[in-house]
Amino acid sequence: MLTADGIRAALDGLLERRTDQTRLTSMGAGSDDLDDGRAYLAATVEGGWHVPTWPSAHGGRDASVAENQLIGSVLREYVVPDLYPFAIGLGMVGPALLAHGTAEQQERWLRPIASGAEIWCQMFSEPEAGSDLANVALSAERDGDVWRLGGQKTWTSRAMWSKWAICLARTDPEQPKHKGLTMFVIAMDAHGVDVRPLRQMNNDAHFSEVFVDDAVVSDAWRVGDVGEGWRVAMTILSHERAGAGSRGGGDGAKRGSRVPTWIADLAALGALDDPVGSHTVRRDEAMSIYAADMASRWTAQRAADEARSGGSPGPAGSGAKLRTVSSYKRRAFLANRAAGAAGMLEDGHGYIETVTAPSMSIRGGTDEIQRNILGERVLGLPGEPRLDRDVPWRESRKGLL
Amino acid sequence: MSVRIAPEPVVVDELITETAGRLFGELCTHEAVQAAEDSGGAPDIWEAFCETGFDLIAVPEEAGGSGGTLAEAIEVLRLVGYHSAPIPAAENGILGGWLLAQAGLERPDGLVTVVPPRAADGGWSGGETCSVSLNGDGTAVLSGEAHRVPWARSAETVVCVCEFDGTSTVVSVPASECTITPLPNMAGEPRDTVSFDGATGRAAPAPHGVDADALAQRGALSRVALMAGAIEKMCQLTVSYTNERVQFGRPVARFQAVQQHLVWAAQDAALVRMAAEVAAREATRGDAPFEIAAAKLVANQAAARATKACHQAHGAMGMTQEYPLHHFSRRLWSWRKEYGSDAHWSAVLGQMATGVGADGLYPLITSGTAALA
Ligand SMILES: Cc1cc2nc3c(=O)[nH]c(=O)nc-3n(C[C@H](O)[C@H](O)[C@H](O)COP(=O)(O)OP(=O)(O)OC[C@H]3O[C@@H](n4cnc5c(N)ncnc54)[C@H](O)[C@@H]3O)c2cc1C
Repeated sequence: MLTADGIRAALDGLLERRTDQTRLTSMGAGSDDLDDGRAYLAATVEGGWHVPTWPSAHGGRDASVAENQLIGSVLREYVVPDLYPFAIGLGMVGPALLAHGTAEQQERWLRPIASGAEIWCQMFSEPEAGSDLANVALSAERDGDVWRLGGQKTWTSRAMWSKWAICLARTDPEQPKHKGLTMFVIAMDAHGVDVRPLRQMNNDAHFSEVFVDDAVVSDAWRVGDVGEGWRVAMTILSHERAGAGSRGGGDGAKRGSRVPTWIADLAALGALDDPVGSHTVRRDEAMSIYAADMASRWTAQRAADEARSGGSPGPAGSGAKLRTVSSYKRRAFLANRAAGAAGMLEDGHGYIETVTAPSMSIRGGTDEIQRNILGERVLGLPGEPRLDRDVPWRESRKGLL
Repeated sequence: MSVRIAPEPVVVDELITETAGRLFGELCTHEAVQAAEDSGGAPDIWEAFCETGFDLIAVPEEAGGSGGTLAEAIEVLRLVGYHSAPIPAAENGILGGWLLAQAGLERPDGLVTVVPPRAADGGWSGGETCSVSLNGDGTAVLSGEAHRVPWARSAETVVCVCEFDGTSTVVSVPASECTITPLPNMAGEPRDTVSFDGATGRAAPAPHGVDADALAQRGALSRVALMAGAIEKMCQLTVSYTNERVQFGRPVARFQAVQQHLVWAAQDAALVRMAAEVAAREATRGDAPFEIAAAKLVANQAAARATKACHQAHGAMGMTQEYPLHHFSRRLWSWRKEYGSDAHWSAVLGQMATGVGADGLYPLITSGTAALA
């Protein structure tokens, strides 16, 4: 039987333990490092430690939900780097291939994801399809055994590092917008795929415009049935929301310590020193964030475990995302505030988090969209009137119904 | 029975608003502001600004300035914020120019910058480790290091207020006497480290009422004006963007969830502009510690709310460098920390309120600084 000490015995030979000094980036902000994540994944793939619920043949270890949870909690004692560059493959494409992919596709793509050998990106958003994702226009037309893709994607994170993309395309413009979509895998080095990085306000250039001009994709690289693209996209998005930052990077504590590094850093700045003076507000805020984090970690873990064990996290993922985002933003703000005037500088404490924070409630579906999902699917509230549901996309795309 | 005489109205010449607005509108394009950030300055914009005489507005003509009122200088600063003009308008004029004129020190040619003063809580001082020694002949030797000095790298002169033998003293040193380490703030504006190490300059005692506290207030007022302009522009950008951006077959501004962001931003823009105008008007008439403290606190809090609302309403577009929203949001995040944080000005206001006692609280709210006398 798998025990915490058994897991430690296996991991001690592979990974470093966290110490009080361990500091890691979150969500790739301010970092272009691929090596640390790659080395970590290469080290853990044999034991299937990073994606334990995946089949052992594909980089996992066929773990049960309980085992997965135990492994996750032990992993927190080790230095698990920020896996931002690898997150689409590990957290979204992997689970989607397990749910919707063919045996051949799983065989080809899963293990290189788990080992860090191949990076993936998510080609969903387009200039006219942000929150309204079902409005994608990039077209895929059948040509014998292959499909020919043409159009433009945007905000594609990690595109410049990626070998593959999961790409939502329109295969039937005569169907209403949710129905004529199909999901494909596209090779980023294919002829006709052009990646143009965009610089963000935090100075990272982690997302790109991707122009696709008559790129050829084999029918064997279609994920799910023709016309089923929206369903596959929903699986992927619910994993994205539930899994936002669930493993790797950011906070964590060395064994036996309950104090997350962000609180230790606030304490080191002296921001928590004085329980009654002008710092009280900060102590109060820090503890309020900590309490909310603990509650949401358990909830997120539950959603993520449901997802990894084959089910889709569904709307629970939207709740998890709202909480994770709110915590990130509050922590960024508090850290920067605790730094006082020195926090205005580009090398000030909490700088990169402060200029990255606004993106958190936008990427992966905005806060407003997550609340719409919770309102409609959990509470059963009526949705906004949708005039475009039953109209052919060719008509509805003209906009302003 | 006492008769209250209505104070003289403080009027800002419309020509100032028009001229400065037109100048910045032409020069401070998105590309020019971005280029200034990359290179650490915009000498051409500064030069054009100086040609209008706005660089020394509110500095008395006898002291080599352009004359005009403090309220007029504050209006120009509001426009600097509105256009994210990458120039040291506050430092050169109403802060540096004012200190030199008050102390009767000669104003050298070229750009003047000012070391932000030491705050009572020590928390946001620029010059926490500086000290001065005076020679009998009016020369002074400065030592120590000042942090986050705006535009020091392009300045000819660095001015600071120091205590010497219990007297507040204004010191002016040539920048060439100092070692300057360039550092950017969150918006890429120069906030440099200045190391004095025996830099020699001129010193003169400051008249009564000109000291570190007074500089802190004037500095805070300058930031409120900049912030008022930046929030207003950010709000306008957001209203137009959300009216143009179509999702789900309608402009996103039609979603009530988005309208709520727009309303927050609009309220904050109106609030800060009003706070800036009231504080500038009172400071033009005389001392205005209450109005300025309240205005900076209001501006700091509004900046946090409004940047959040405007970014959220923009979606991913607002996160890119090629769209101008960040010029305003990053400046606001920096300026809210300059010349006093929320905590600092809250404490100052709290002391005023407890100082006047229960019976004095309502008069303080309705009459402001006048009720402190
Ligand atoms: C850092 C970053 C990384 C990203 N990475 C990727 C990626 O790798 N792959 C990818 O495909 N996409 C990516 N995206 C895009 C992301 O998915 C979209 O930004 C997001 O879905 C929102 O779309 P939008 O930006 O077009 O905003 P819009 O849809 O234009 O929204 C503007 C505003 O309107 C609101 N709104 C829209 N519709 C409604 C409604 N029905 N009800 C209430 N409010 C509404 C929104 O909440 C928002 O406040 C990334 C975005 C960011 C910021």
